[in-house]
Amino acid sequence: MNNYKLIIMTDDRQVVLERILQVTRYRGFLINGINAQVNTGNQIATIELYVSSERPIELLIDQINKLIDIKGVKVDNKADNKGAQQHSA
Amino acid sequence: MSSSKPLTGGGLLFEVLEQHGVEHVFGYPGGAIMPIYDALYDSSVKHFLCRHEQGAAFSAVGYARAAGKVGVCMATSGPGATNLITGLADALADSIPVVAITGQVATSAMGSDAFQEIDIFGLSLACTKHSFQVSNIDDLEDVLHQAFEIALEGRQGPVLVDIPKDIQQAEVTSRLEEFSHLTNKVQLPLADISNAIDILTHAKQPILYVGGGVGMANAIDEVRDFANQTGMPSVSTLKGLGAINADNENYLGMLGMHGTKASNLAVQECDLLVVVGARFDDRVTGKLNEFAPNAKVIHFDIDTAEINKRRFADAAILGDLKANLPLLSMSLNISGWQEKVQQMKADFGWRYDHPGSKIFAPAVLKEMSDLMPKNTCITTDVGQHQMWSAQHISVDDPCNFLTSGGMGTMGFGLPAAIGAQISRPHDTVIAVSGDGSIMMNVQELATIKRYQIPVKILLIDNAKLGMVRQWQDLFFDGRLSETDLADNPDFCQLARSFEIKAQTITEKSQVTEALEEMIDHQGPYLLHVKIDAKDNVWPLVPPNTANDKMMESV
Repeated sequence: MNNYKLIIMTDDRQVVLERILQVTRYRGFLINGINAQVNTGNQIATIELYVSSERPIELLIDQINKLIDIKGVKVDNKADNKGAQQHSA
Repeated sequence: MSSSKPLTGGGLLFEVLEQHGVEHVFGYPGGAIMPIYDALYDSSVKHFLCRHEQGAAFSAVGYARAAGKVGVCMATSGPGATNLITGLADALADSIPVVAITGQVATSAMGSDAFQEIDIFGLSLACTKHSFQVSNIDDLEDVLHQAFEIALEGRQGPVLVDIPKDIQQAEVTSRLEEFSHLTNKVQLPLADISNAIDILTHAKQPILYVGGGVGMANAIDEVRDFANQTGMPSVSTLKGLGAINADNENYLGMLGMHGTKASNLAVQECDLLVVVGARFDDRVTGKLNEFAPNAKVIHFDIDTAEINKRRFADAAILGDLKANLPLLSMSLNISGWQEKVQQMKADFGWRYDHPGSKIFAPAVLKEMSDLMPKNTCITTDVGQHQMWSAQHISVDDPCNFLTSGGMGTMGFGLPAAIGAQISRPHDTVIAVSGDGSIMMNVQELATIKRYQIPVKILLIDNAKLGMVRQWQDLFFDGRLSETDLADNPDFCQLARSFEIKAQTITEKSQVTEALEEMIDHQGPYLLHVKIDAKDNVWPLVPPNTANDKMMESV
C-alpha cells in the first residue's frame, strides 16, 4: 500500500468536497486524513488529502482534475519517494 | 412568453433552452416541477410526455446521439428524479451530452424529509459529469448556460440542474449580458507527435482500433482518410461501429468478447495499436495482460484520464481528433500484413446457413441491414440481440447505431428510438429489442401511440433472458436460474392495444416479406420474430481469457 498526500486547489463551490471524496473512494483510494480551508478573499479552497492505495496516484490525479471546479492537484510527497509531480487543471 | 406576466424561474429556463437551440424536451410532470410545466405552456419548446422518467432520460440520450445535439429531459423531485438516474448513468458511461432538469421541494422545506424530497444533487455525483442545485434565482440563468457548456465541452456527458420550487416561481429581476464560461478547463500536455511518427514508421503489423470518440469528435472523415492513407487494417468497438465504412477491404469488424475472429486474431498479432477515441474497455480487451501482447500503443483521446488507465501508451496524443489525426497520416509499406488480414477476413467470414426451418436471428439482421434505407438509425437493447445486431448490421455512421455500450442498460432501445425518430423525422428508425429488454420500458409504446412516432420495432423473442441463459449454460453447468420468460405477454396484442401494427413470424420462409412490410409501413410497426431459445452468440471470448482463445460453438 502506497501513501500519498495530495494538495488540491479548487473553487469554493457546492459539494466540491463531496465530489473529491466520491471520486477518491470510487477510484480505489483509502482516505486517511483531510484538511480543508477556504480563502474567503478569493473563494479558493485548499484541500490536503492523505490517501493510500495499491494503484498509481496518477490515476486519481487525472480523475480529480476532471472535476469541473478543480484548479490544480499536486502530490506533496510520495511514499516511494519518486518526487513531487505537478498536474494543472 | 406572455408579456403580461413577469418572467419567472420556470420561464427563464425555457428562454435559455431556446437560446441553446433546444426544440424538444422529454419529461414527466409532478408536484415540485409544476411551475416549470406552467411556463412550458407559454414556450415554443415542444415537450414529449413519456410514460416513465427513465423513458424520458433514454429518449433524451437517443435524441442526442442520433442528432449530435444536447438532449434535454425533465422530472419532478423524489421518485421522478431518481427514475432519471439510470439514463444519466448510461449517458455518463457513453459520454452523451444530456441536460436533466429536476424539480425540488421549496428551499424552506429542503432537508426536512418533505413529501417527494430526495437529495438528487447528492445522488447525481456518481452518475453525472457535473451537477448544480440552484439556491438563488439570480444564479439560475448562469447555471443553465454552464450546464450546456459543460455537457458539450471536452469529453461530453450529462449535467443535472436541480431547481427548488420557489426558485421556479421566483420573479427574475435581472438578466445576464453574458454568461460566465468555464475557467478550469484541463490543460492538455503537448502531443507526442514525433515519437508517434517514429513508432508508426517502424510498425510492420499495425492495427487501427476505433472507438466511440471518433463519432463524438465528428472526426469520421479524418479517421477514414487516416485508414485509407496508411492502409492500416482497422477494428471497431461497439460504440465505434460505423466510423469506418464496412466496405473498406482492410476493415475487420468489431473486436472483443463477441468480435469477429479476424479482428481478434489480427489484434493479438499486431505490433502497433493506433487507438482512436477508445479506452481499452474490459469487453474489448478480454484478459488485459494478454491483449495485443506484442503491440506498442499510440493513443489518441480527448480525456487525459484515459491515457495509461488500463494500458500504457508509448505515445499519447491528447486533444481534438479532427486536428490531430491528420498529423500522423502517411503511407505505410505493409502490403504483406494487409494480405494476411484480408485472408483472415475471407477465411472467417459470417455464415448464415442454419439447419431447420426456425428463424436464425443473425440472418434476419443481415437481411434487414441489406433492405433498410440509407441513413436508417438502429437502436438496440441489451443482450444477445444487441451483439447479433453489432455483428450483422452494417451502418455508415456511428449516429446510426445507438446502443448502450458502457452501462449495458436493458430498456434503452425503445425510448432511445423514440428520441432518435423525433430528432430525425425523415429517417427510418428501427429499435432491435429482445423479449427481456422490451419489457423494461414497454410503457413507452404509449408515447409512440400518443405522438404517432413511426418507429419500427424488431423484437427477437427466444422466451429467455438469452445472454444470461447462454452464460448459465456455458459457465454455470447449465443451471438455468431465473432466465425463463415463457410467460411473456402476447407482444402483437400488446402492440395493437397501442394502435401499433404488428405481426409474428416463426419460419424462415416468412422473413423477407415481413421485413419488407415493416420497413415500408408508414407508421409504427412491431415485427415479432420467434427464434430458437438455444441459439447462442458466437464467437465468445470467455471471461478472463485472451481474445484469441474465443469459443465458436458449444
